[in-house]
Amino acid sequence: MSERDFHPLVKQLLDGELTIADLPAELRAEGEEALRLLTGVDRSPVELPAVTQRVMQTLASRPAPAVPAWKRVMRPREIRLRIRPWVLAPALAVAAALILLIWPATPARPAPLVTVRFVLVAPDAREVSLAGTFNQWDAHATPLVRSGSTGVWTATLTLPAGQHQYAFVVDGARWVPDPGAPAVDDGFGRRNSVLTL
Amino acid sequence: MLTLLALPLTLLGLQQGMAQRLAGRVSPTVAALVEQLGTTGAARGLPIDPLIQKAIEGSAKSIPDDRVAAAVRLVATQLDTAATALREGGPVSDTLAIAAGAFAINAGLSGSDITALARVGASPQALTVGLRVAGTLAALGVPRAENIGLVSTTLRSGQPAESLLLLPAHVQSAMANGSTPAAAAAGLSRAAAAQARHGPPPGRGQPPPHPAPPPHP
Repeated sequence: MSERDFHPLVKQLLDGELTIADLPAELRAEGEEALRLLTGVDRSPVELPAVTQRVMQTLASRPAPAVPAWKRVMRPREIRLRIRPWVLAPALAVAAALILLIWPATPARPAPLVTVRFVLVAPDAREVSLAGTFNQWDAHATPLVRSGSTGVWTATLTLPAGQHQYAFVVDGARWVPDPGAPAVDDGFGRRNSVLTL
Repeated sequence: MLTLLALPLTLLGLQQGMAQRLAGRVSPTVAALVEQLGTTGAARGLPIDPLIQKAIEGSAKSIPDDRVAAAVRLVATQLDTAATALREGGPVSDTLAIAAGAFAINAGLSGSDITALARVGASPQALTVGLRVAGTLAALGVPRAENIGLVSTTLRSGQPAESLLLLPAHVQSAMANGSTPAAAAAGLSRAAAAQARHGPPPGRGQPPPHPAPPPHP
């Protein structure tokens, strides 16, 4: 391939910036020759598939550069989550229920305790006990003690401050309100004694 | 939305708790009624303990199931009335205050009495104590007007809860000396009003260091 240096104006002609008529008369012959040479050039595209394939194979066969484990762990990753909102509802409901259940289980302050002495005069009784809201109305849970032969039955309890309703149970069957305390209707045609601490 | 979803689970837990407390203490019929009333009541912010207590009490006293059921329903109604009355009197919806209001209604006070006490504007704790004391005074026979007057005056005076808790003992003491419940309450009310105007007597500005004395010294 011969190498030839064209006049700058002829180069502009080859670049399409000028036409053959724009050239001075003394350069027109050089311009026509340059155009003739240009039309003889093979302009078909060059395809080299084998080269591309060889390059990619070479890259794939090379071992990847060693990356420290901590870098692999810390490397940011893109995570894609596809969530249906209604699937989350039961999980959130369970969480909210747990919060609601646990919350009241932590009382702000325990009620102070008060010591109370219960007294019933029942000279003919064989046994007397105390049943009320403080012992789940268990007629056997809180027996009273007879003081000598006077017929005075007593029990001393430590109860949380608040309101309690109760009755004496005489001989395991007879429910008797405390004669020394206010009483309210128990809803069953009897009276419950009231203790407000 | 979340609360609506969580509510069934919470109520389910409550129902299981009620079933455990009632197991072996009441008949299945009464237990089912208590669980039903308790669950619907709890969804409206009502306490469940008074219902359970009344059912267990009826069973302990060997009362037939139908009468226990009627008593439990009455308690549920009283809780509803108390809650409504408290809402009309202020923003208080505390379950202890509602239970105290239901007790006061059972003792003879009305929903309007509960509302009147709620309108005093006391703290929820003081109001709860006031309702319990008002119910106790009603159980002693103090008429409604004198009762609400005494308790509301004492609540307004800002005295400690111990002063409220001593009112029934003071009324009982006056009654033992021949006074009527109404006169005893009116006298205490005048004293509380005077104290509110002039402040507590010397040396009585602080709550006592020990809890209230027992009813049977």
